[in-house]
Amino acid sequence: MNYIESLLPESIKSIPTHMDFDGQRRAERYFQVIIVLYAIVGFVWGYATQSFSQTLYILFAGVFLSSVLTLVPWKMYRSQPLQWQPARVEQDSATPSPPAVTGNPGSQSKSKKKKIKE
Amino acid sequence: MNSFTSRLNSLFAFTLSVMAALTFGCFLTTVFNDNLRPVELSVGKVSVKNVPDYSADRDKSDLGFITFDLFTDLSPIFNWNVKQLFLYLTAEYETKDHTLNQVVLWDKIIERGDNTILDLRKANTKYYFWDYGNGLKGNQNVTLTLSWNVIPNAGTLPKVRGFGSHKIVFPEQYTAGRF
Repeated sequence: MNYIESLLPESIKSIPTHMDFDGQRRAERYFQVIIVLYAIVGFVWGYATQSFSQTLYILFAGVFLSSVLTLVPWKMYRSQPLQWQPARVEQDSATPSPPAVTGNPGSQSKSKKKKIKE
Repeated sequence: MNSFTSRLNSLFAFTLSVMAALTFGCFLTTVFNDNLRPVELSVGKVSVKNVPDYSADRDKSDLGFITFDLFTDLSPIFNWNVKQLFLYLTAEYETKDHTLNQVVLWDKIIERGDNTILDLRKANTKYYFWDYGNGLKGNQNVTLTLSWNVIPNAGTLPKVRGFGSHKIVFPEQYTAGRF
Protein backbone atom coordinates (compact mmCIF):
# COMPACT_ATOMS: atom_id res chain seq x y z
CA MET A 1 0.00 0.00 0.00
CA ASN A 2 2.78 2.42 0.90
CA TYR A 3 4.52 1.53 -2.36
CA ILE A 4 1.42 2.40 -4.38
CA GLU A 5 1.05 5.67 -2.50
CA SER A 6 4.60 6.65 -3.41
CA LEU A 7 3.74 6.23 -7.11
CA LEU A 8 0.81 8.63 -7.01
CA PRO A 9 1.36 12.11 -8.43
CA GLU A 10 1.67 14.99 -6.01
CA SER A 11 -1.67 16.49 -7.06
CA ILE A 12 -3.52 13.42 -5.75
CA LYS A 13 -1.32 12.92 -2.69
CA SER A 14 -1.98 16.50 -1.60
CA ILE A 15 -5.78 15.94 -1.37
CA PRO A 16 -6.53 16.05 2.37
CA THR A 17 -8.25 12.87 3.61
CA HIS A 18 -8.26 13.40 7.39
CA MET A 19 -10.90 14.58 9.81
CA ASP A 20 -9.96 16.73 12.79
CA PHE A 21 -10.95 15.56 16.26
CA ASP A 22 -14.12 17.63 16.36
CA GLY A 23 -15.04 16.40 12.87
CA GLN A 24 -14.68 12.77 13.98
CA ARG A 25 -16.94 13.42 16.95
CA ARG A 26 -19.55 15.08 14.73
CA ALA A 27 -19.36 12.35 12.05
CA GLU A 28 -20.10 9.67 14.63
CA ARG A 29 -22.96 11.70 16.13
CA TYR A 30 -24.43 12.38 12.64
CA PHE A 31 -24.63 8.73 11.57
CA GLN A 32 -26.05 7.69 14.94
CA VAL A 33 -28.81 10.30 14.73
CA ILE A 34 -29.59 9.59 11.06
CA ILE A 35 -29.76 5.81 11.46
CA VAL A 36 -31.91 5.99 14.61
CA LEU A 37 -34.30 8.48 12.97
CA TYR A 38 -34.70 6.29 9.87
CA ALA A 39 -35.14 3.24 12.12
CA ILE A 40 -37.99 4.93 14.03
CA VAL A 41 -39.70 6.04 10.82
CA GLY A 42 -39.19 2.58 9.32
CA PHE A 43 -40.63 0.90 12.40
CA VAL A 44 -43.77 3.05 12.28
CA TRP A 45 -44.17 2.60 8.52
CA GLY A 46 -43.52 -1.14 8.72
CA TYR A 47 -46.09 -1.47 11.48
CA ALA A 48 -48.60 0.56 9.45
CA THR A 49 -48.13 -1.59 6.36
CA GLN A 50 -47.62 -4.78 8.44
CA SER A 51 -44.44 -5.55 6.53
CA PHE A 52 -41.11 -5.82 8.34
CA SER A 53 -39.18 -5.72 5.06
CA GLN A 54 -40.39 -2.13 4.56
CA THR A 55 -38.83 -1.28 7.94
CA LEU A 56 -35.49 -2.70 6.85
CA TYR A 57 -35.56 -0.96 3.44
CA ILE A 58 -36.10 2.40 5.15
CA LEU A 59 -33.29 1.60 7.60
CA PHE A 60 -30.96 0.77 4.70
CA ALA A 61 -31.83 4.09 3.07
CA GLY A 62 -30.68 5.80 6.27
CA VAL A 63 -27.51 3.71 6.34
CA PHE A 64 -26.74 4.73 2.76
CA LEU A 65 -27.36 8.40 3.48
CA SER A 66 -25.18 8.40 6.58
CA SER A 67 -22.45 6.49 4.71
CA VAL A 68 -22.29 9.21 2.08
CA LEU A 69 -22.36 11.92 4.74
CA THR A 70 -19.91 10.55 7.28
CA LEU A 71 -17.65 7.91 5.69
CA VAL A 72 -16.24 10.39 3.19
CA PRO A 73 -13.91 12.91 4.89
CA TRP A 74 -15.77 15.99 3.67
CA LYS A 75 -14.30 19.44 4.14
CA MET A 76 -16.77 20.32 6.90
CA TYR A 77 -15.07 17.75 9.16
CA ARG A 78 -11.81 19.74 8.96
CA SER A 79 -13.13 23.09 10.11
CA GLN A 80 -11.52 23.06 13.58
CA PRO A 81 -7.87 22.06 13.20
CA LEU A 82 -5.75 21.63 16.29
CA GLN A 83 -4.01 24.80 17.48
CA TRP A 84 -0.42 23.72 17.93
CA GLN A 85 2.02 25.65 20.05
CA PRO A 86 4.38 27.72 17.92
CA ALA A 87 7.76 26.17 17.34
CA ARG A 88 10.29 27.03 20.02
CA VAL A 89 13.19 29.10 18.86
CA GLU A 90 16.57 27.53 19.69
CA GLN A 91 18.39 30.04 21.90
CA ASP A 92 21.98 29.08 21.30
CA SER A 93 22.82 25.83 19.72
CA ALA A 94 26.54 26.28 20.44
CA THR A 95 26.36 25.39 24.14
CA PRO A 96 26.15 21.65 24.69
CA SER A 97 22.94 20.47 26.22
CA PRO A 98 23.17 19.65 29.93
CA PRO A 99 23.59 16.00 30.81
CA ALA A 100 20.29 14.22 31.08
CA VAL A 101 19.10 13.85 34.65
CA THR A 102 16.27 11.52 33.88
CA GLY A 103 16.75 8.25 32.12
CA ASN A 104 14.87 9.22 28.97
CA PRO A 105 15.86 12.61 27.67
CA GLY A 106 13.61 12.41 24.58
CA SER A 107 9.99 13.34 24.82
CA GLN A 108 9.96 13.71 28.57
CA SER A 109 12.39 16.57 28.77
CA LYS A 110 10.75 18.21 25.79
CA SER A 111 7.37 18.26 27.46
CA LYS A 112 8.99 19.61 30.62
CA LYS A 113 10.45 22.47 28.65
CA LYS A 114 7.07 23.17 27.10
CA LYS A 115 5.48 23.41 30.50
CA ILE A 116 8.11 25.80 31.70
CA LYS A 117 7.49 27.98 28.71
CA GLU A 118 3.81 28.04 29.33
CA MET B 1 -13.22 7.27 13.61
CA ASN B 2 -9.97 8.68 12.24
CA SER B 3 -9.94 6.62 9.05
CA PHE B 4 -12.44 5.52 6.41
CA THR B 5 -12.32 1.89 7.51
CA SER B 6 -12.75 2.60 11.20
CA ARG B 7 -15.78 4.78 10.41
CA LEU B 8 -17.15 2.01 8.15
CA ASN B 9 -16.69 -0.46 11.00
CA SER B 10 -18.49 1.62 13.61
CA LEU B 11 -21.30 2.54 11.20
CA PHE B 12 -21.83 -1.11 10.28
CA ALA B 13 -21.77 -2.26 13.91
CA PHE B 14 -24.21 0.46 14.91
CA THR B 15 -26.54 -0.53 12.04
CA LEU B 16 -26.53 -4.14 13.22
CA SER B 17 -27.41 -3.07 16.78
CA VAL B 18 -30.29 -0.94 15.48
CA MET B 19 -31.55 -3.86 13.35
CA ALA B 20 -31.49 -6.12 16.39
CA ALA B 21 -33.49 -3.53 18.35
CA LEU B 22 -36.02 -3.21 15.50
CA THR B 23 -36.45 -6.98 15.30
CA PHE B 24 -37.01 -7.15 19.04
CA GLY B 25 -39.57 -4.36 18.75
CA CYS B 26 -41.35 -6.29 16.01
CA PHE B 27 -41.46 -9.30 18.32
CA LEU B 28 -42.84 -7.16 21.18
CA THR B 29 -45.74 -5.89 19.05
CA THR B 30 -46.97 -9.44 18.42
CA VAL B 31 -46.02 -11.26 21.62
CA PHE B 32 -49.50 -11.06 23.15
CA ASN B 33 -51.44 -12.29 20.06
CA ASP B 34 -53.37 -15.47 20.84
CA ASN B 35 -53.48 -16.51 17.12
CA LEU B 36 -56.82 -18.21 17.82
CA ARG B 37 -59.44 -18.58 15.08
CA PRO B 38 -62.73 -20.47 14.74
CA VAL B 39 -62.70 -23.58 12.55
CA GLU B 40 -65.76 -25.31 11.10
CA LEU B 41 -65.18 -29.03 10.64
CA SER B 42 -67.46 -31.83 9.54
CA VAL B 43 -67.06 -35.25 7.97
CA GLY B 44 -68.77 -36.91 5.05
CA LYS B 45 -68.15 -40.57 4.45
CA VAL B 46 -66.81 -42.56 7.43
CA SER B 47 -65.74 -46.18 7.21
CA VAL B 48 -63.24 -48.49 8.85
CA LYS B 49 -61.42 -51.54 7.48
CA ASN B 50 -59.38 -54.25 9.15
CA VAL B 51 -56.28 -54.80 7.03
CA PRO B 52 -52.64 -55.84 7.60
CA ASP B 53 -50.35 -52.92 8.37
CA TYR B 54 -47.24 -53.86 6.39
CA SER B 55 -45.47 -50.72 7.56
CA ALA B 56 -45.63 -51.91 11.17
CA ASP B 57 -46.13 -55.38 12.66
CA ARG B 58 -48.09 -56.92 9.71
CA ASP B 59 -50.93 -57.72 12.08
CA LYS B 60 -54.40 -56.73 11.07
CA SER B 61 -55.13 -53.23 12.33
CA ASP B 62 -57.97 -50.78 11.98
CA LEU B 63 -57.66 -48.33 9.11
CA GLY B 64 -60.15 -45.48 9.07
CA PHE B 65 -61.34 -43.68 5.96
CA ILE B 66 -62.97 -40.28 6.18
CA THR B 67 -63.70 -37.36 3.93
CA PHE B 68 -63.94 -33.98 5.63
CA ASP B 69 -65.23 -30.47 5.07
CA LEU B 70 -63.27 -27.60 6.53
CA PHE B 71 -63.93 -23.88 6.56
CA THR B 72 -61.77 -21.28 8.30
CA ASP B 73 -60.50 -17.78 7.68
CA LEU B 74 -56.96 -17.40 9.01
CA SER B 75 -56.18 -13.94 7.61
CA PRO B 76 -56.36 -12.17 11.04
CA ILE B 77 -53.43 -14.31 12.22
CA PHE B 78 -51.08 -12.84 9.65
CA ASN B 79 -49.15 -9.75 10.72
CA TRP B 80 -45.68 -8.34 10.10
CA ASN B 81 -44.12 -10.99 12.30
CA VAL B 82 -45.66 -14.05 10.62
CA LYS B 83 -43.91 -15.78 7.76
CA GLN B 84 -46.16 -18.82 7.38
CA LEU B 85 -48.62 -21.10 9.12
CA PHE B 86 -48.28 -24.83 9.34
CA LEU B 87 -51.77 -26.33 9.65
CA TYR B 88 -52.40 -29.89 10.67
CA LEU B 89 -55.61 -31.85 11.17
CA THR B 90 -55.49 -34.35 14.02
CA ALA B 91 -57.82 -37.09 15.19
CA GLU B 92 -57.78 -37.77 18.93
CA TYR B 93 -59.44 -40.75 20.56
CA GLU B 94 -59.24 -43.10 23.50
CA THR B 95 -58.68 -46.85 23.29
CA LYS B 96 -58.52 -49.63 25.84
CA ASP B 97 -54.72 -49.52 25.98
CA HIS B 98 -54.09 -45.80 25.65
CA THR B 99 -56.04 -42.88 27.02
CA LEU B 100 -54.83 -40.54 24.28
CA ASN B 101 -54.13 -41.45 20.65
CA GLN B 102 -53.30 -38.72 18.17
CA VAL B 103 -53.11 -39.21 14.41
CA VAL B 104 -52.24 -36.48 11.92
CA LEU B 105 -54.52 -36.90 8.92
CA TRP B 106 -53.82 -33.85 6.81
CA ASP B 107 -51.59 -30.79 6.78
CA LYS B 108 -50.98 -27.66 4.80
CA ILE B 109 -48.54 -24.76 4.71
CA ILE B 110 -49.97 -21.28 4.20
CA GLU B 111 -47.28 -18.79 3.32
CA ARG B 112 -47.53 -15.05 3.61
CA GLY B 113 -49.50 -13.80 0.60
CA ASP B 114 -51.26 -17.11 -0.03
CA ASN B 115 -55.03 -17.41 0.12
CA THR B 116 -55.87 -17.48 3.82
CA ILE B 117 -59.49 -18.61 3.51
CA LEU B 118 -59.69 -22.39 3.54
CA ASP B 119 -62.86 -23.96 2.19
CA LEU B 120 -62.47 -27.70 1.62
CA ARG B 121 -65.38 -29.92 0.59
CA LYS B 122 -65.24 -33.72 0.69
CA ALA B 123 -61.48 -33.59 1.04
CA ASN B 124 -59.51 -36.80 1.41
CA THR B 125 -56.94 -37.21 4.13
CA LYS B 126 -53.29 -36.93 3.13
CA TYR B 127 -52.07 -39.61 5.54
CA TYR B 128 -53.40 -43.03 6.54
CA PHE B 129 -55.61 -43.18 9.61
CA TRP B 130 -53.99 -46.23 11.17
CA ASP B 131 -54.77 -47.39 14.66
CA TYR B 132 -52.33 -49.65 16.52
CA GLY B 133 -54.94 -52.35 16.94
CA ASN B 134 -58.71 -52.35 16.84
CA GLY B 135 -59.51 -49.04 18.46
CA LEU B 136 -61.44 -47.49 15.59
CA LYS B 137 -64.26 -49.94 14.97
CA GLY B 138 -67.34 -48.71 16.76
CA ASN B 139 -65.44 -45.85 18.40
CA GLN B 140 -68.07 -43.24 19.26
CA ASN B 141 -65.73 -40.42 20.23
CA VAL B 142 -63.00 -39.56 17.74
CA THR B 143 -62.36 -35.81 17.80
CA LEU B 144 -61.12 -33.95 14.74
CA THR B 145 -59.31 -30.67 15.39
CA LEU B 146 -57.26 -28.30 13.31
CA SER B 147 -54.11 -26.89 14.90
CA TRP B 148 -51.36 -24.67 13.60
CA ASN B 149 -47.82 -23.55 14.21
CA VAL B 150 -47.17 -19.84 13.66
CA ILE B 151 -43.72 -19.36 12.14
CA PRO B 152 -42.52 -15.82 12.96
CA ASN B 153 -39.72 -13.55 11.76
CA ALA B 154 -38.53 -13.31 15.33
CA GLY B 155 -39.80 -14.64 18.62
CA THR B 156 -41.63 -17.65 19.89
CA LEU B 157 -43.11 -20.48 17.81
CA PRO B 158 -46.70 -20.71 19.08
CA LYS B 159 -48.67 -23.91 18.67
CA VAL B 160 -52.38 -23.15 18.63
CA ARG B 161 -55.42 -25.41 18.57
CA GLY B 162 -58.18 -23.98 16.42
CA PHE B 163 -61.44 -23.12 18.16
CA GLY B 164 -63.96 -25.74 17.07
CA SER B 165 -63.84 -29.49 16.57
CA HIS B 166 -65.94 -32.33 15.18
CA LYS B 167 -66.77 -35.70 16.67
CA ILE B 168 -66.55 -38.73 14.37
CA VAL B 169 -68.60 -41.86 15.05
CA PHE B 170 -67.10 -44.94 13.41
CA PRO B 171 -69.44 -47.73 12.29
CA GLU B 172 -69.72 -50.95 14.23
CA GLN B 173 -68.95 -53.03 11.14
CA TYR B 174 -65.80 -53.30 9.03
CA THR B 175 -66.20 -52.39 5.42
CA ALA B 176 -65.31 -55.21 3.06
CA GLY B 177 -63.95 -54.82 -0.44
CA ARG B 178 -62.05 -51.83 -1.73
CA PHE B 179 -63.87 -49.07 0.12
